[in-house]
Amino acid sequence: MEKRIREELLALFKSKLSRPMEMYLETCARCGICTEACHAYASMPLPKYTPAYRAEVVRRIYKNYFRWQGKTVPKAGECKKLDETIIDELKEAAYSCTGCRRCMVYCPFGIDTQQIMSIAKLLLVGAHAEPELLSLLADVSISKGESIDSFKEGFLEGVKNLEEEVVEKWRHEAGRTPIPTEVVGAEILYVALAGAHSIIPAAAIFNAAKENWTLSFFEAVNFGAFVGDPTKTKIIMDRIINEAKRLKVKEVCICECGTAFRVMSQLSGSRPFKVSSITEVHSRYLKEGRIRLDKSKFNVPITYHDPCQIARNGGVIDEPRYILSHLTDNFIEMSQDPKYNWCCGGGGGLVALGEETLDFRMKSAKVKAEQISKTGAAILATACENCHTQLSNLNEHYKLGMNVQFLSSLVSDALAK
Amino acid sequence: MNETIKADKVMDLKGLPCPMPVVKVSKGIKEVAVGQVIEAISTDPGALTDFPAWAKTSGNQILKTEQSGKEIHFFIKRLS
Ligand code: SF4
Ligand code: SF4
Repeated sequence: MEKRIREELLALFKSKLSRPMEMYLETCARCGICTEACHAYASMPLPKYTPAYRAEVVRRIYKNYFRWQGKTVPKAGECKKLDETIIDELKEAAYSCTGCRRCMVYCPFGIDTQQIMSIAKLLLVGAHAEPELLSLLADVSISKGESIDSFKEGFLEGVKNLEEEVVEKWRHEAGRTPIPTEVVGAEILYVALAGAHSIIPAAAIFNAAKENWTLSFFEAVNFGAFVGDPTKTKIIMDRIINEAKRLKVKEVCICECGTAFRVMSQLSGSRPFKVSSITEVHSRYLKEGRIRLDKSKFNVPITYHDPCQIARNGGVIDEPRYILSHLTDNFIEMSQDPKYNWCCGGGGGLVALGEETLDFRMKSAKVKAEQISKTGAAILATACENCHTQLSNLNEHYKLGMNVQFLSSLVSDALAK
Repeated sequence: MNETIKADKVMDLKGLPCPMPVVKVSKGIKEVAVGQVIEAISTDPGALTDFPAWAKTSGNQILKTEQSGKEIHFFIKRLS
């Protein structure tokens, strides 16, 4: 590796060395408590799939360049030079970790392997060795932000095509637009995904609750975060922040997308609006009596998969259960404590990489498939696009015979007058 | 532009989860030769902003976008 490239990569490494990150890199006692906590290891017991092994790939570089060991006893201190040979190791470590942070809740020191993997991802970006597709998706989002005015007309026409289906789900007062856009002073800016399934049920529920809402021109998902590029993450996030400021909305509601919710709620700094997940908003509508649900709609056992970025990492745990209590008397928990729920196995950009990662995703989430199967439920609900795709893949692969549904779709199908 | 464009490959991208429409079209375009055209069909409003942005980023050209009922047909020429 050329000296100049190595220096650039080390500068990127250094940019990540916050106080907590240094603690994560310094502290591991190799107690092994986290080993079985990782779904990848629990499903495929190979040392390279343990959280501590993954972290060690990055930690060795850290010791070599940022600690005394590298300067005095590089061999004894288990140091590793940053060169081409370590790129593949970084890739394997980073892209076999879904960033679910289940290991972190087990680790006695709270070591955040997802954060350590963010260094690995950034080094891969710096070395142009990241999955090309994820960078392309991030660039598409950025390009959209730069030329949104030229795309607006087409988008509005596409949205108009969905109105009929929204009204079929909920007939609201005459004269109101089923999918409002560009409403200055709206209470809520709803940020959806590109798909109609992310817009239609949400719109029907907003209308049933008589909400003053407006649909964003942008998609919620942040591929900059998946690929681990902080600059792109910020540009993609800022498109939505600027839109929310321009429209002077009070609240930004993020659709069923875990990464989008985590990025907007935890990385957007101080902002003149509140950030909520759509699950929180629906739970609030039920509490305030703004919507009612017909419990007789689904007379089968329902279980719920907590998306890691929304539940364990986002704190939204009670709200989906409150919604479910209005949907069914036959709710089955899949995990004793939702904080310790198994990851679906599709996070961290793995689902976005599609077929390429399918085999690994299916093998590494065997424990998840077993957990779902044990519930004996007929409907498997979740509140994240990524999880929904992965759970649908698992459903097919392991022949679970479940009906995989978005929680918001269940809510919109059970809306009662 | 009302002339009929003949597609060398047709891709049905209706109802796919995020981000599969863009992922599939990125792969699909590589399966035709430079100068050839793919027709991508979607029902997602987001495709109307995603596809032009993707074409710009990946250096391909959207020759025509046609809406018929709920379906949106994109005719995309591979440029590189
Ligand atoms: S964050 Fe999740 S996938 Fe990554 S090492 Fe920890 S448990 Fe495994
Ligand atoms: S539980 Fe924490 S301290 Fe123990 S091996 Fe895992 S990361 Fe290291």
